[in-house]
Amino acid sequence: MQFHERNTGEQIMNVKVRFFARFRELLGTELIVEVAERMTLPDLIKQITQKNIEGHQAIFDEHGHFREYVIVMRNARRVDLADAEKNIVADGDDIAVFPPVAGG
Amino acid sequence: MFSERERERYKRQMMLFGDEGQERLKKAHIFIAGAGGLGSPVSLYLAVAGIGTLTVVDRDVVDQSNLNRQILHNDCDIGRKKTESAEEKLRAINPDIKIRAIDTTIEEKNASGLVGKADGIVDAMDNYPTRYLLNDIAIRKKIPLFHGAICGFYGQATTVIPGKTACLACIFPKAPPKEVFPVVGVTPGIIGMVQATEVLKYLLKSGELLTNRLFIWDGMQAHAEEICMERNPCCTACSSMSEIPENK
Repeated sequence: MQFHERNTGEQIMNVKVRFFARFRELLGTELIVEVAERMTLPDLIKQITQKNIEGHQAIFDEHGHFREYVIVMRNARRVDLADAEKNIVADGDDIAVFPPVAGG
Repeated sequence: MFSERERERYKRQMMLFGDEGQERLKKAHIFIAGAGGLGSPVSLYLAVAGIGTLTVVDRDVVDQSNLNRQILHNDCDIGRKKTESAEEKLRAINPDIKIRAIDTTIEEKNASGLVGKADGIVDAMDNYPTRYLLNDIAIRKKIPLFHGAICGFYGQATTVIPGKTACLACIFPKAPPKEVFPVVGVTPGIIGMVQATEVLKYLLKSGELLTNRLFIWDGMQAHAEEICMERNPCCTACSSMSEIPENK
C-alpha cells in the first residue's frame, strides 16, 4: 500500500473506479481517484459524478441513494447497496459500477 | 446414429468431439426464448451445430427496423410472424434437425409448458420480467439458463446452473427500467455466440462454463472482462435450492 502525505498530514489514497455500459459513456471508462481518508463508497462515487448531472442521475436516485438496479463491486466482491455507506474505501481499491443491460 | 449426410455435414466438428459428442447434440433439446437480435445468431449456430431439437418462441412480426440485427429474417419477411420466418430459415440451413417454432408470449401461465422437457433455456429476450420468469423455470426444472443481453456496443452473458451457481436474480436482483435500447447487429452477434458456445460446452460436458462469472463485452474498446459473481444466500429465486448434481 502506498500512502501519500499532504502538507496537512492527511493520508491520501488512490482508488480505481471503473464504469461499464451506459455509465461508461457518461463518466468514462476508468478513473484513478485520489481520496481522503474515511471516505465512504457512495461519497466517492458522488464526488466523481458531482459535475456530471446525467451521470449522477443515472447512478443515484433523487434521495442520493444508489438506484436499486445498479451493481457495485469492490475488489471483485458485490457491495450490498443497503449497506453501501458502511464501505469505507481503502488505498488500492478496485471499484466497478455498472447497470444491467437489457436488450436482446 | 448418423446418416451419410449428417456425417458429412458435421465432419469438421466431429474431429473435435467425435461421434459421442455429436450424438449428445443430436439428442438435445434447447429452448430459445426469442427470435430477435440474440435469438437469430443463437438459433442459426445451434441449428448448424446439429442440436437435435430447437424450440424457438417469439410473439412478434418482422419489422423493417429489426433487420439491422435480426439475421434470421430477410427484407421479404417484413410483416410475417418471426416464428414462421425462423422456422423456414432454420429448416433450410439444417434439414436434419427438428424445429418447433411457437408464436406466443412467454408468460407465467405457459412458460413451464413451453419449455417442456428441454435440456436448457437460452435467454434471448429483451426484458427482465421475462428473464426472471425463465430463470424461475430453469430453477424449477433444474436445467441451465444461458443468459445474454446487449445495449449498443455493450453486451453481457453468464450461464446459470440452478442450485450450483449464481442465478440471474442473484446477479441482478432488480430490473433496470425498460427502455428502447440502441443496438448494432454485431453486438448480439458476439453475445449470441458466447451463449451458443456455452450451450455446446454444457451439452458436450467439456470446457469451463461461464458460471459465477459475468462476461462483459465493450465493442468500442474491443475489450472483454469478467466479474466474479456468487450465489446470494437471500436470493428470492434460488436460495431455497441446496446443492444439486448437474442435470446433464
